[in-house]
Amino acid sequence: MPDGSFAHPQQRQFNPYTDNGGTILAIAGADFTVIAGDTRQSEGYSIQTRYAPKVFRLTDRAVLAVNGFAADGNMFVKKVKQRLEWYRHAHAKDMPLRAIARLIQTMLYAQRFFPYYVYNILGGIEEDGSGAVYSFDPVGSYEREACRAAGAAQSLVQPFLDNQIYFKNQKAAPGTSHPTHLPLSDVLSIVIDSFTSATERHIEVGDGLEIYVVVARGRSPQGIEGIRGVQELSAQPNGDRTFILRRELKKD
Amino acid sequence: MATASVYSGPGFDFTNEVRNNFLTERGIPLPKATSTGTTIVGCLFKDGVILGADTRATEGPIVADKNCEKIHYITDNIRCCGAGTAADTEFTTALISSNMELHSLSTGRKPRVVTAMTMLKQMLFRYQGQIGAALVLGGVDVTGPQLFTIHPHGSTDKLPYVTMGSGSLAAMAVFEAQWKPNMERAEALDLVCAAVSAGIFNDLGSGSNVDACVITASHTETLRNFVKPNERVQKERSYTFRRGTTEWTKEDVRALVVEEDITHITGGRGAEEAMDTS
Amino acid sequence: MFLTRSEYDRGVNTFSPEGRLFQVEYAIEAIKLGSTTVGVRTPEGVVLGVEKRVQSPLLESSSIEKIMEIDRHLGCAMSGLTADARTMIDHARVTAQNHAFTYDEQIKVESVTQAVCDLALRFGESVHDEDAMMSRPFGVALLIAGIDELGPQLFHTDPSGTFVRYDAKAIGSGSEAAQSELQDKWHKQMTLQEAQILVLRVLKQVMEEKLDHHNVQLAQVTPTGGFEILDEVRLKEIVDIM
Repeated sequence: MPDGSFAHPQQRQFNPYTDNGGTILAIAGADFTVIAGDTRQSEGYSIQTRYAPKVFRLTDRAVLAVNGFAADGNMFVKKVKQRLEWYRHAHAKDMPLRAIARLIQTMLYAQRFFPYYVYNILGGIEEDGSGAVYSFDPVGSYEREACRAAGAAQSLVQPFLDNQIYFKNQKAAPGTSHPTHLPLSDVLSIVIDSFTSATERHIEVGDGLEIYVVVARGRSPQGIEGIRGVQELSAQPNGDRTFILRRELKKD
Repeated sequence: MATASVYSGPGFDFTNEVRNNFLTERGIPLPKATSTGTTIVGCLFKDGVILGADTRATEGPIVADKNCEKIHYITDNIRCCGAGTAADTEFTTALISSNMELHSLSTGRKPRVVTAMTMLKQMLFRYQGQIGAALVLGGVDVTGPQLFTIHPHGSTDKLPYVTMGSGSLAAMAVFEAQWKPNMERAEALDLVCAAVSAGIFNDLGSGSNVDACVITASHTETLRNFVKPNERVQKERSYTFRRGTTEWTKEDVRALVVEEDITHITGGRGAEEAMDTS
Repeated sequence: MFLTRSEYDRGVNTFSPEGRLFQVEYAIEAIKLGSTTVGVRTPEGVVLGVEKRVQSPLLESSSIEKIMEIDRHLGCAMSGLTADARTMIDHARVTAQNHAFTYDEQIKVESVTQAVCDLALRFGESVHDEDAMMSRPFGVALLIAGIDELGPQLFHTDPSGTFVRYDAKAIGSGSEAAQSELQDKWHKQMTLQEAQILVLRVLKQVMEEKLDHHNVQLAQVTPTGGFEILDEVRLKEIVDIM
């Protein structure tokens, strides 16, 4: 209209979120936890970068994997790290894993009506020395589990994990039972196979793989030091130990 | 025996159109068709034309086929790369291939690329873009090497080097940087491979292998899986299951061959008569 | 002390030329008028004891509340202007609950003590033109007892916002005599019962009235029972043993 008004109601929308693809995964062992993610960051059919880490070391015994909208994910990790630092100053200790889990819930729920568009998986060692995985939805619902996959290829990887970790749809041989926890070498193989397989069939998964392994204090790292491409991140070998294992994934 | 008297008209059947639109409105969308996210290219060189394509087919973000064929046969001296809805590119090229065969039979001449191009654009235009086929058509005929692109609405281009599909920008970047007229065959083939590879590695809709097809006046050479830069890696574990892994709730074994003893109670007719089936 | 009185003893946020804040020092003096309060730490837990001054035979001694719970694992005994302690304990309770809500764990004894002391120095504070929330320092000292991953602990806070950890501490009117008695009698390997008896003995020494289960109150924090105020029956048992 000449006076600047509109004849009909007009609707405009701004969408502040995008999905940057990729997949993350964590598996808890008896006294270790494995947390992994691919390093591709994409938008639509384009690769934004072949190396954008989605897995972050928070403390000596906690590792956080973040997947979804990368900008939110990076900001969220930054804020969690800041809260961890404040906690260290206020209470003169590193935040325990289950406290980090609860903190993440409160931080996510604080954004209930403008959420961080991220799926979080927290892995590490609990106060009692057991391996633990916590998974979150974008607004803070969380649960401790033995394993979890999230992100673009969740629907491909989680059923595989259910079968290989929880032994779903597998009857144990007569007179035997399924183990509750697998050894580290088996878990690492399953993680690597999860990602190479997801890379085969999901276009948003690929380029690189970063696997963090946290081993409880005083427990054997089960020969992980000997594996190709492994690097130890922990400063002192008598506490909890963190290792990182990097692998290439297909780049098409 | 009388055949059913239901008339089936030629061409597409639109009877479900209204119902499907209604369902879409009520929140039941149509199933997703397999799409060839795709990088397809073509370029002219000294002796003819080279077509190239990747081999990935997708359904949304899932890889439906890791090694599909996107270079379709039209005639001996004409090939057509297809991008878009897989069914549309396959069906359209097959239809035009048939019509080209009929055309050369009735004219008694070697088929021309422009003929195929015209048939394709007329068909695509008739369907107003509803047929989601984006094509690169190339071949060598009596007029020399020819290379076209045909868009889903029916528009065409005639250019010395072309790309189509979601990886077209990546591939075109390579052509724009390196293409030059009157290249030797080897050089042109390397360039086509580089262009398709750019799509394979930089476009998520494209992937796996490079297919190529070199068409010259005398010969057409199909180079299926010419380069395989994305071989599947060895798995870390073996995933064979112990016999008896799958549980069952009920076991019921039935004999497929049923044996019956038949006792004749009436003795009126002989056995030979009963056996007579003439 | 009264010799140095000057105009500097009025403002709560003005140092004297000798570098003293008189109002804070006076607040610390106020505690010395309060009833005696004792805290003793042992490896088995922490014991808190207070004297209830029953000023009138008509006064219901059970209505005197000088030991309060902060959280399941935290208790607090006070001496001085006990009304001021309400604000501090409210703050401590909120802090402890907030911590449990945010971190799914019990707050450390030192952290809750720090939080209370942060509050102690908020007097004279005002934002822009708003009125100050607190006009003077708190006139109360606290003994905060609790158990966390570092074991049983006892903290003392005063109106200056300073806090110190003790094995055994007495505050209030009889604190000087009580503290020297604690120094003599406290030892590292005390049992909880020994601590209860020690607290009562120390209180008995400094009290004007004869100690019985009506004019003292005992509380303890143990790993199993958490914070609990001992009821009159249990209190009487200990008084009898003593």
